[in-house]
Amino acid sequence: MSFADTIKKYYILYKSFFRASFVADLEFRFNFFILICAEFIWYSTQLILYEVLYRHTSRLAGWNLDQMRVFIFLALFVDSIYMILWDPNFVKFADDLRKGNLDLLLTKPVNEIFMLTSQKISISHVPCFFITGGGLVWALSQLPDFNWFKMLWLIIMIPSGLSVIFCGRFALNATTILFQRADFLQYVWFSLFRFGLRPDGIYGAVMNGFFRYIMIFILPFAMVASIPARFLLEPLNPLYLIWGILMPMILLTLTQKYWNYCVRNYSSASS
Amino acid sequence: MLQPLISVGIELILWLAIFNATDSLTIGGFDRNMYLAYVVWAPFLGRVGISWMYESMMVEEVASGNINIVLTRPISFYEYYLSQLMGYKFTTTIVSIIIPLIITQIYQLPINYSRLPLAFSLVICYLFLIHNLSFIVSTLAFFMTKVKSFTLVKNLSLWLLAGELVPIDLMPAVLAKILLILPFSSGVYIPVAYMTGRCQIDLIYQGFISVFVSFILSSILCRLLWSKGLREYTGTGA
Repeated sequence: MSFADTIKKYYILYKSFFRASFVADLEFRFNFFILICAEFIWYSTQLILYEVLYRHTSRLAGWNLDQMRVFIFLALFVDSIYMILWDPNFVKFADDLRKGNLDLLLTKPVNEIFMLTSQKISISHVPCFFITGGGLVWALSQLPDFNWFKMLWLIIMIPSGLSVIFCGRFALNATTILFQRADFLQYVWFSLFRFGLRPDGIYGAVMNGFFRYIMIFILPFAMVASIPARFLLEPLNPLYLIWGILMPMILLTLTQKYWNYCVRNYSSASS
Repeated sequence: MLQPLISVGIELILWLAIFNATDSLTIGGFDRNMYLAYVVWAPFLGRVGISWMYESMMVEEVASGNINIVLTRPISFYEYYLSQLMGYKFTTTIVSIIIPLIITQIYQLPINYSRLPLAFSLVICYLFLIHNLSFIVSTLAFFMTKVKSFTLVKNLSLWLLAGELVPIDLMPAVLAKILLILPFSSGVYIPVAYMTGRCQIDLIYQGFISVFVSFILSSILCRLLWSKGLREYTGTGA
């Protein structure tokens, strides 16, 4: 099968998943509406936090309020993409495993990581995608003399940030295979992800700034939105650009290797 | 144990950065240690004063029809889950209070231990209100197929309204006044503010009154929804 055929096959599959998710989500319309409200509340809380903090300080982590708004809207924008594409699949991952659904997926002539992570698309997060995207553009328009061509950096940096979330969450979920029952890992993830929702500048106050480098290069949660925001707000740092390109490749390779290791240790859950 | 430690750690870092960034030694009239104490205790009380697991179980019981079993027991659905919730909260609180206590000791944070009993009494009263809210959400399963989203909306709202995200006294004055009148601040902000010396006993009394009034009102709603729900409900199965 040629590369083009492979792409076409995955495209058709993904289109089917999208259609099925759309129908499933809109089946319970009131529930769908409430879910959208929940997302708006969640995103609002993140904005409110900084709006309240800046009532009492003019700069935080080296950024003023206008700059911080760019960061937080970017973080929420990246988060909304992740929520649309992958979150529902990661939430049901452990259940799939317990029920033996993984067995079936492993036998299909499709990449199992694709099947595990793409079957369900969260339609209720689509409005948040547009709202946070709009918020980001608005926040950037508040900056004096903002060069809109800088937005092009996001073509590289948003996928880079998404790779951190995808690989991190997937690796933690894959660990469930080794532990059989590891619901606690979900909670660990939610706590770790909060590192990504804070500007990396605040970590400069910990361990003489060393912790900030950990957040960029070892547990790269700062690459989710904080460093991409720096591409928009500050002069280009080539080191971050190189890392932004290299890191997804490293993370995806390591994730694939870890997944293979986990599958080798997998004992079927079904009869 | 890891999750609360990470959460508290991140918030501690955030507030340290805020105080590093500001020229003033106080924010909103309170010093750094007072905020650190707030950050350590607020998530702890926030976890005590919320019900995810039991609310999900209650919703599931109603939605799946398993409530048939509970209805035949010599204890009501409300009491059955109230006792479970209180038992669970009691044991988890006893265990998890170690974390804020240790951090408080290490950093010598300003906690007035003589105020702990009254502050915790308010949280216990607040838990009754929380159980009522969970009960209300679960009765919605009599009328709707999917109600889990209500739990999400309710708990996210409580997180914001209780003052766990940010101390209520930092918010704009009008908003802060409204939030303090609402009963939800009795779950986190009022007890923590009282323990850390941000407020005096009059706010605690106000919290008790607010929680009591809300409990009465929510109990009426619970009874109405339960009666109406049971009339709609058709139990099936062997």
